[in-house]
Amino acid sequence: MELTVNGQRHQIDAEAGMPLLWVLRDILGLTGTKYGCGIAQCGACTVHIDGMAVRSCQIALADVGGEVTTIEGLGTPDAPHPVQQAWIDHQVAQCGYCQSGQIMSAAAMLALQGEPDDQQIDRIMSANLCRCATYPRIRAAIHDAARRLATG
Amino acid sequence: MIRAALVMLSLVLPAGAEVTTSVVAPPQEGSVSREDGLAAWDRVHAVVSHPRCANCHVGADNIPMWSGPEYPQTGPHGMNIDAGDSRIGAETLPCATCHVTSSAPANGPNDAPAAMIDWQLAPVDMIWFGQSSAQICAQMSDPARNGGRDWIQLAEHLRDDAAHGGFVAWGFAPGGARQPAPGDLQSHIDDVLKWGAAGQPCPE
Ligand code: FES
Ligand code: FES
Repeated sequence: MELTVNGQRHQIDAEAGMPLLWVLRDILGLTGTKYGCGIAQCGACTVHIDGMAVRSCQIALADVGGEVTTIEGLGTPDAPHPVQQAWIDHQVAQCGYCQSGQIMSAAAMLALQGEPDDQQIDRIMSANLCRCATYPRIRAAIHDAARRLATG
Repeated sequence: MIRAALVMLSLVLPAGAEVTTSVVAPPQEGSVSREDGLAAWDRVHAVVSHPRCANCHVGADNIPMWSGPEYPQTGPHGMNIDAGDSRIGAETLPCATCHVTSSAPANGPNDAPAAMIDWQLAPVDMIWFGQSSAQICAQMSDPARNGGRDWIQLAEHLRDDAAHGGFVAWGFAPGGARQPAPGDLQSHIDDVLKWGAAGQPCPE
């Protein structure tokens, strides 16, 4: 099966029902995307498919209908995405386990939402859990990233 | 009015998907008594008020519900979910972020429910959650609030939605340990037609 991840095409030899998360981590070695729960409860596995946030633990390889972007493809250490830069500036991460999912969800939201208020942020980000409770820093970094994106 | 033609639908779906074959065979209008029509309505109501259907047929607050035997108590969908006026979560978090569009929607007990079309709430006019049988019956028989359908078109809608892997088929085969809506799709279509042929009688 063919799969495009971070702009690169791959031929994947795996069962059609394998969750995308497994393909990313175990076959392609892209371990920035995390396995938290496997049941759509935590958001740690969030990636983009054609720009939309999707829980990669939920979607089977055969059902992936677009180009996948993972945290490794969102930006690079030299040229981080504005959301990644805001995350660094606000030192959002504690243990870090949930953070690639948080960043991918935030980036997908900001591509659509302009400058969300706190209530919108809570509506959109409440399905991304953080056991270290970094939520106040996540909010602050999202506000900051939204301003950066708005001013280009 | 008689539409005698039987419409057979059979689908070839990917492995693991439910194969849905259903028939719309309307009895002649007026050939079903009011009493039998009301009995058919009661069975239709048991389906549409079931949590598999009603949890996403919610009102203008656009918040899906969690209710039924799978949940310790009835309440709004967890995770602060709000599907927005778009009813698909476009303003917030798309439903399809977790309820992925799947070619094999009868998935495991711990997967988020999935259908073969993008997950969404029903239109706000079609509110069922928390409504009485009489209220739902009035809505379903009012073309202004049922998508402009007469009784035969209601049955055809059920058949067609199921044929493309939408939520009607899912409700009867939700996968995992989820309790399905009572009965099966064909009986539900037949009951809608019986109720319709009786003149769509509604309980007081
Ligand atoms: S691992 Fe996918 S939502 Fe938790
Ligand atoms: S930073 Fe530890 S789980 Fe979020």
